[in-house]
Amino acid sequence: MHLINVFHIIGGILRFFGVTFLAPIVVCTVYEEWNDIPGFVIAAGISVAAGQALLYLTRTAEDRLRQIEALSVVAGVWLLLALVGAVPYIWAGFGLIDSLFESMSGITATGATIITDFETPSHGLFFWRALTQWLGGLGVIALVVAVFPRFAVGVRRLFAAESAGPKEEQLAPQIRQTASYLWQLYAGLTVTACIALFLVGMPLYDAICHALTLMAAGGFSPHEQSIMGYGNPMLEWIVCVFMFLAGANFALQYRALLGKPGVLLQDDEMKVYVGMIVLAVCSLFSLLWVFDGGAGSVRVATFQVLSILTTTGYASTDFNLWSDQAKVVLLSLMFIGGCAGSAAGGAKVLRHVLIGRFTLAELRRTLHPRGLLPVKLNGKVVADEVIRGVLVFFLFYILTFALCAAVVIGFGADFETGITASIAALGNVGPGFGDVGPMSSYGSLHAVSKVVLIAAMWIGRLEVLTVLTILQPEVWRHIHWSTYVTSRRR
Amino acid sequence: MHIIIIGGDAVGYSLAKALATQHEVAVVDPNPQCVNRFSDLDVSVITGRGTNPDRLRQAGITSDSLLIAATSLDEVNIVACSLGSQLGASQTICFVSKEDFLHAPGGTQHLKEHFGIDHIVWPDAQLASAMERVINVYGAINADTFAGGRVQLVEFLLNDVSPLINRSLAQVSSLGGVVLVALKRDNKTTVPHGETVLLSGDKIVLMGTQEGMQRVRDDLLPAHRDDAIQLVTIIGGGDVGFRLAQQLDKSDGIRLQVIEENQRRAELLAQSLKNGLVLRGDGTDLELLESEDIGRSDVLVSVIGNDERNLLASLLGRQLGVDRVVTRVSHPSNLRLFERVGIDVVLSAHGAAVASILHQIDGGRASLLTVLEEGEARVLDIPVPGNFSTSLVSDLGLPNESVIGTVLRDGKVIVPRGEDDVRAGDHLLVCCTASAVTDVRDLFS
Repeated sequence: MHLINVFHIIGGILRFFGVTFLAPIVVCTVYEEWNDIPGFVIAAGISVAAGQALLYLTRTAEDRLRQIEALSVVAGVWLLLALVGAVPYIWAGFGLIDSLFESMSGITATGATIITDFETPSHGLFFWRALTQWLGGLGVIALVVAVFPRFAVGVRRLFAAESAGPKEEQLAPQIRQTASYLWQLYAGLTVTACIALFLVGMPLYDAICHALTLMAAGGFSPHEQSIMGYGNPMLEWIVCVFMFLAGANFALQYRALLGKPGVLLQDDEMKVYVGMIVLAVCSLFSLLWVFDGGAGSVRVATFQVLSILTTTGYASTDFNLWSDQAKVVLLSLMFIGGCAGSAAGGAKVLRHVLIGRFTLAELRRTLHPRGLLPVKLNGKVVADEVIRGVLVFFLFYILTFALCAAVVIGFGADFETGITASIAALGNVGPGFGDVGPMSSYGSLHAVSKVVLIAAMWIGRLEVLTVLTILQPEVWRHIHWSTYVTSRRR
Repeated sequence: MHIIIIGGDAVGYSLAKALATQHEVAVVDPNPQCVNRFSDLDVSVITGRGTNPDRLRQAGITSDSLLIAATSLDEVNIVACSLGSQLGASQTICFVSKEDFLHAPGGTQHLKEHFGIDHIVWPDAQLASAMERVINVYGAINADTFAGGRVQLVEFLLNDVSPLINRSLAQVSSLGGVVLVALKRDNKTTVPHGETVLLSGDKIVLMGTQEGMQRVRDDLLPAHRDDAIQLVTIIGGGDVGFRLAQQLDKSDGIRLQVIEENQRRAELLAQSLKNGLVLRGDGTDLELLESEDIGRSDVLVSVIGNDERNLLASLLGRQLGVDRVVTRVSHPSNLRLFERVGIDVVLSAHGAAVASILHQIDGGRASLLTVLEEGEARVLDIPVPGNFSTSLVSDLGLPNESVIGTVLRDGKVIVPRGEDDVRAGDHLLVCCTASAVTDVRDLFS
């Protein structure tokens, strides 16, 4: 691995990221919140200066990008952006770890928060919080590739490393074109969501912030009580629709919008996604009926199922108060996640489909030892390597979850809190149960737990393997700044 | 007519043998040994490739030549046809084994314009369809449908317990709605008459309406239910096996498993089949057949590309308890042998293709619907001309070796008795032996 190549691209992205701080500055100006502006200016300054410096230092970078370098770029970018993004929170008076937690939760579109006091932070800060989710929701590198077509070498590798799903879906022969289409759709849906929310009576500022976190399947809300705080059933239904879209494959939606709505019905993952929602809503509704004395309506069940399955994390009611029987439905959904190629996090429906079919095929193999029993997706055979990748993913996903839960519980959280906080962070869901329920915050956890959860959000957003790959000792033994030839000349 | 056959394999030989008596035939084949094979026929054999214009000229290609490209290589056949039509052949017939280029945009018109191909013959597809029909009609050893499915033709084998045996046809009352159009006994195919007595071991061919056929089948096979799901095992995933598997895979009433030896071929099959199970292994490996419990199968189809192994696989299947075994035979001379050792349905890869070409050359106005027993009997669709004066079936004076199976009149299907009449504008579906074809045709011209 040659760090020069890695930092060259990271530098470019950092410099671009600096520009995004202009948006919260504008919001601060509108609301005349002059106190918070320096925080954004400092963050922008650090971002642009560091980016520029890296670009200068790495001006002799190679015109290529190895696989491991691409993975390092992606892992590095997401970590550095979280660091830079934390600066405004620090300026606003939050602690270092809390700021980093909030920033990582934002950029990874998790939605877990440490904020308990929703009165003090400015409009600008809340807007920034929402904006980070929106930028991270579909992928920062995808955005950079879409905005700057001639951005960098190795775009295909970078794009694949960031959206490490089991299948690569392309809307156009060129990856930058695909990225651009996806972002256009994403932006279009966000604007639509914003207008819809505004029309059913949400104030404009709240509508903008919610639209940004809604389409990103993020879940940050400037309102202390999330969507529940608005007490507006129509609003909740609209949020349901957009959560459903945010958790569905964007490439598929793009094709459907191009006049082939049939593709939605033919897609295996989509069918399972819809089926799972229907099943979960029915079971949640009946469990609430039986164990919570009819506490929930169909709307409440639908909203909460979609919110957790798509890893958005909004709450239209304080589900932490529900019976354990009802909560376990939501806990199961946290382990599933949205569709591949969506803004949702989690293990993804597609991986569950593949692992399910693989398991059935293996069971059947005992009956037919000589049978060829390929796993198929949409009628096409899925390569063995892909299945192996999915198996390894689940292995590490569960391992990371268990380690994380052990640390959080070890540092003083109860079982319910520790387990749900870990899966909510790793799956980028946001709220859990117990002390980290939808109406409370992660602020009360031990500092070590917070650091571990920050790592879990980072690892989870990059689908586990990206981060774990670069942690191998072999990678670290072979880190060079530049190629051998250049270093000898020097 | 002057006919040039490219390729001296089994197909080429069957064609030459059938055509040599009435036509001037030349065979072009690169293999020098080919001359020996054709030495018993009055044909000229040119050693060389069919894609060489000099060889075609040597074979005497002229403007009234018919060129039949029947090698085992599609590409060679296409080039030969293209070359032949360029050199002036009036008609070209091309044998193919793969479907890739059939789907070229423009269809048959395109084939005519760009490749100079007048007719495509696709024996594997014909065979796969024939096998599919047999599988779908329970108890049948051959089956076909005409007039958009309203007329059925089914061949049954009569066994010791059949209710039809030891009675003359006139005594069998259950045959309302169907006509017994052909009978095969001791390797001889005849068109039976009222006084014919059916015996155990006879193969009978019935033609009639769907309802009539259903009644007969209920009599012949009382225990069978049509909606029962059949387990079909195909041994061999070659061109025919692959096609058949794809067709059967779509059918709800069939559970399918395919045994294929070649790993890559098996993968290809597994990829293209939605429901069917693909097993990799040798179809003649008794251990595999036993471990997969092949004996449970309702139908075993053996389509390995080799007659000996096909025979072995079929016999093993039979031994394991499979009720119905359907087999492909490549060399027509092996056909009798297969039937003798008790394999129910033996279909030849080229039989139907050769017969359809023969009819294309000699057919005239009547169109050939199907051939029975390797061309010994045929089913013709004969349009009754407009100036024909109405007469009773019994007064028509049909040749002995022929019978009217059904009459199609104004979209209705009539199963005729002697007292029914034949009118101008009718279509007659007539079954006759090969020797009677000309007489039947002349009767209505």
